[in-house]
Amino acid sequence: MSYYFTILSPTDVPLFNIAFGTSKSGGDGIARFRFPDTAQYMNQFIIHSSLDIVEEAQWMNGNMYLKHIDTYPPAAAYITAFLAPSGARFLLLHQPPQLPSTTAPGNGSSSLLGSSFSSSALSGGSSSRASSSSIGANPTSPQTEEAVRQFMNEVYENYVKTMMSPFYRQGLEIKSPVFRSRVTAAGRKWL
Amino acid sequence: MAHPPRHSAMLSLSNSGSSANSDKQQPPQQIQHIANTGLRVPSNRKTIYDRHLNRSRNAEISRSSFAFLFGEMVTYAQRRVTGIQDLEKRLNEQGYPMGLRLLDLLYYRTITSSTSSSLASSSTSTAPPNRPLRILPLLHLIHGPLWRLLFNRPADALEHSVSPDTPNEYMITDNDPLVNAYVSVPKEMHMLNCAAFVAGIIEGVCDGCGFEAKVTAHNQPTELWPGRTIFLVRFGESVMEREKVLERAGIK
Amino acid sequence: MSATKASRIGEELWKTRIDKVNAELVTLTYGTIVAQLCQDYDSNYQEVNKQLDKMGYNIGMRLIEDFLAKSGVGRCSNFRETADMIAKVGFKIFLNISPTVTNWTSDNNQFSLVFDENPLADFVELPDDGRAQDELWFSNILCGVLRGALEMVQMQVDAHFVSDVLRGDDATEMRVSLVRYIEDEMPPEEE
Repeated sequence: MSYYFTILSPTDVPLFNIAFGTSKSGGDGIARFRFPDTAQYMNQFIIHSSLDIVEEAQWMNGNMYLKHIDTYPPAAAYITAFLAPSGARFLLLHQPPQLPSTTAPGNGSSSLLGSSFSSSALSGGSSSRASSSSIGANPTSPQTEEAVRQFMNEVYENYVKTMMSPFYRQGLEIKSPVFRSRVTAAGRKWL
Repeated sequence: MAHPPRHSAMLSLSNSGSSANSDKQQPPQQIQHIANTGLRVPSNRKTIYDRHLNRSRNAEISRSSFAFLFGEMVTYAQRRVTGIQDLEKRLNEQGYPMGLRLLDLLYYRTITSSTSSSLASSSTSTAPPNRPLRILPLLHLIHGPLWRLLFNRPADALEHSVSPDTPNEYMITDNDPLVNAYVSVPKEMHMLNCAAFVAGIIEGVCDGCGFEAKVTAHNQPTELWPGRTIFLVRFGESVMEREKVLERAGIK
Repeated sequence: MSATKASRIGEELWKTRIDKVNAELVTLTYGTIVAQLCQDYDSNYQEVNKQLDKMGYNIGMRLIEDFLAKSGVGRCSNFRETADMIAKVGFKIFLNISPTVTNWTSDNNQFSLVFDENPLADFVELPDDGRAQDELWFSNILCGVLRGALEMVQMQVDAHFVSDVLRGDDATEMRVSLVRYIEDEMPPEEE
């Protein structure tokens, strides 16, 4: 599983983002998006196109953790959202690894991508790299949602610590390398 | 690509290794020219991220220290403005970011405390607290948990405007605001209410939760409570419209 | 009076004679003040230090009355006793902390206050602009408070921070030097 995590201000300014891969089931924590050349652009595009759904869900459901809210089949990308009460949005894009039948993940071969894969992932299809119950395999399983919840809570704790400093003003990019390392550690621990 | 993304994700990953500690050996002049190298940290490497957010939860400080600091804040602000309205606006603006901070701190504490007392009044479950979706839970959040966090007690009253012309107006009353005690206001400023600072905090909380509002503080002394202050919360039109939609949808 | 006796007085006063507020209200309010100064003075940190010292001086001149009234202590017989009174009674009843008195010069005219805790700086991270950690003394208001308060009891002192954990130092230390005892009943200089 490859992840792209971003924090957006209430006015959609990106405050922080990071890409990483799963550390579960022997993963090495390195992101291997399916289109490495355009992954970053695509990930941001996909996340931004889910914002309408976030904004709708935000007023139907008072939870901070909104769970899985959107899927983008062309890239087999799943979006999970968490809302800080003061208005920042935490969005996690996850992309399961390539089908086992294709060549090694992340090398950019793209002929077999798309919705055919995403339907198999949605139905909980397992790959040879991870068992079906592991969070690496199924982005919408209860185990995954719980793992992401833990990840989000841990990031939130660190986000609040950032916010509490009198020199941090809402909407400023979060540049602290310590914050980044905390998010990385949370990813390693839970995802 | 017209707008390349601001940060390269891969670059960011490789940055994560740059520890603040390693910068310590560099002379300051060098640090100046390297963007984003991070701050120096003590040799125990403690940063704000190592400090538990609940550490000062029950800590106390003398009330006069607060009065002295707040008094200086008002005096300083006064030197840089031209009238009472200006001064109140400035105090309001200083309170606003504090409101956003307190809001996140409150929710963090409710998530993490095992005896989770729900912040929004409507919910009685022990599940994580809900963000307020409607006006009333938001105001209860301010009247109760926010006031307790700031002043160790709830506010004294919460009322809705009775006038049909102003359904968007709500009032939160504090009979004896801490910020007005000890702060001596110059004679020519007797209309000033230093609680404008608290009004700013309330405004920050409302705005953070997605309820655009203007909040002002007004002196409403009674014989018993000479410092009694009404915080007038006026919600914007978009909030009132959403309120109707959510009401129809059965959202509480 | 011994340091231990001063500590006991401070503890007793804190428990019985002091009206208290939530420490975080004070912390956040002070942070707001410093952040505002940095903004108003365009991150001219030397100027911010000066302003903080000035505010502290104003507070100190008024605070001493409050201190004497609450503590009921009389005149100190020497500067060493004054130091203990500041650290164990003054800081205790106003900020609920007791910095350590140390590093005396042989002439007993200079000492350091070392702060294990500093509620003013809780939650604070200085701006990562390459300058703040070299130029800003975040808690500089405390220097002014000492200067102002002691001036009212006929002691002219110099007080300044020499290190601060917020700057990456291992300790937060303030150096206090007795300049002279003010003999004449001169009005305090206008600031």
